[in-house]
Amino acid sequence: MSPEFLYTIEVILNGLMAGIMYSLVALGFVLIFKASGIFNYAQGVMALFAALTLVGFQSGQIPFSHLINVMFGTEYHHWGEGMNNFLAIVLTILVMIAFAWLVEKLVLKHLVNQAPIILFMATIGLAFFMEGFGDLMWGANIKTLDVGIPSGGSFWWEDVTRTWATEGSEYYGMYIDVLDVWATGIAVALVIVLMLFSQFTKTGRALRAVADDHQAALTVGISLRTIWVIVWSIAGIVALVAGIMWGSKSGVQFSLSLIALKALPVLILGGFTSIPGAIIGGLIIGVGEKLFEFWVGPLIGGATENWFAYVLALFFLMFRPQGLFGEKIIERV
Amino acid sequence: MNSQIAPGETLLEVKNISLSFGGVKALQDISFDILKGEVRAIIGPNGAGKSSMLNVINGFYHPQQGEVWFDGKLRTQMKPHEVAKLGIARTFQNIALFKGMSTLDNLMTGRMIKMKTNLFWQALWKGPAEKEEQEHRERVEHIIEFLKIQSIRKTPVGRLPYGMQKRVELGRALAAESKLLLLDEPMAGMNLEEKEDMCRFVLDVNDEFGTTIALIEHDMGVVMDISDRVVVLDYGEKLADGTPDEVRKNQAVIDAYLGVSHES
Repeated sequence: MSPEFLYTIEVILNGLMAGIMYSLVALGFVLIFKASGIFNYAQGVMALFAALTLVGFQSGQIPFSHLINVMFGTEYHHWGEGMNNFLAIVLTILVMIAFAWLVEKLVLKHLVNQAPIILFMATIGLAFFMEGFGDLMWGANIKTLDVGIPSGGSFWWEDVTRTWATEGSEYYGMYIDVLDVWATGIAVALVIVLMLFSQFTKTGRALRAVADDHQAALTVGISLRTIWVIVWSIAGIVALVAGIMWGSKSGVQFSLSLIALKALPVLILGGFTSIPGAIIGGLIIGVGEKLFEFWVGPLIGGATENWFAYVLALFFLMFRPQGLFGEKIIERV
Repeated sequence: MNSQIAPGETLLEVKNISLSFGGVKALQDISFDILKGEVRAIIGPNGAGKSSMLNVINGFYHPQQGEVWFDGKLRTQMKPHEVAKLGIARTFQNIALFKGMSTLDNLMTGRMIKMKTNLFWQALWKGPAEKEEQEHRERVEHIIEFLKIQSIRKTPVGRLPYGMQKRVELGRALAAESKLLLLDEPMAGMNLEEKEDMCRFVLDVNDEFGTTIALIEHDMGVVMDISDRVVVLDYGEKLADGTPDEVRKNQAVIDAYLGVSHES
């Protein structure tokens, strides 16, 4: 195989794995949008908050320590050694569930039957609040997150691919980050579990029922508010997974909440109501922007990854506004 | 949830219900009862307040005044999903089905209130949850057979023709095995054959399962044929209440439906 061909494959593979990361964030959006028609702007911040909380538990940080120290002139920062990964993850999941419950109690409950734009505004407020709250609770410094997922390039894969290249060509093998492979595996497992849950359990059925028709769901005895808590909890757990992946890759920092913006073109491609759409939309964006950078980037000075996804989304809005998999918008006259 | 109410006794009673939306008086001082085991019809011209009445019983609307007694107890203000748990199921005038789901899943969702296992067992899909699914599946299959919708078990209901959707919606309401079934215009928009089928199902449900049924219907022929007692509403007020024969002879009802001659 020629080195150029192998390079292209490498770019595509890396694009697929970057795409999975986008998909993970988009997935959280779709879950909440389907169940309640709310576009949850705070999804990215939820991923950040989950990652911050996880690091905090791991390293044994005391929540609000800066605030406490300033107010009382004390010098508390940590308690003991912190805890192991498993316990920290379980506790973080509990925190995300508590968060979902609070959002329902304090925000959604009071905005039932309001126009979608109002709920959207509420989630923007929520996003800003959580960003500040996360800062206050765990501090604004960049933290490293390590939950024991291996990372770094795979030498084995480099060796294997080197033998594929044409004899005598200067090809040093493909670079694939093991972390990305793990992230892909975990994302796939997560989606499969979610699918099975929604297809084969009573609560899953209730979730789909609420997504289909609120009124009908109420009359068969489904409490919308319970379902909203469950959906936001699941979205919180998805956010945690996304937060762990992004955090392990590039550190837990506040720019993490901006990955939510990359999920937007993914959703426009995949459709706001489709879980497979979120996955495939993410993959298309991931591969698309990497290939574009690889082929067209050098011609126009590079840095195309920043805008390519949005331009692609713009084209989709013009020709297929409901996305690849979204429900077709039909107005009956 | 065992009811001590014998057939023929009052299952549901509404007392002096008044409901208004701003200045519009949808219901004014309405009282009537529904006896266990009967087919009770609510009729009236368009805008008479029939659907509002159903929505009050069902918990979608909360009346400003009046009481709802169900199963011998005074009901406090309740949300629709709580009312469903008490044992009141309903269908809608403009069909509210879970359109993306198959017929089977729609009916299974209808049994929601009968399912007891918690999230933990569901997540494992073992032990109680698995057994429960199978039990409920059996009951649902029974209803599917009863309504003769075997051939569309796996079809997403959004793709079904209108008449079939109405039938699936009835099936979903039946799946809850509730004490009281509210049907909002179950035959609206159907052709003659479909109407006859639906009539037979309503009567069979009443006979075989002993379910008490309250229905809203426009087709007078149907109402007179299948109902035991009829209550007539007009402009949010109660005009008449009695057997189909009594109602048919009632002058106020005739006036409301045919218009009054003002010459004499």
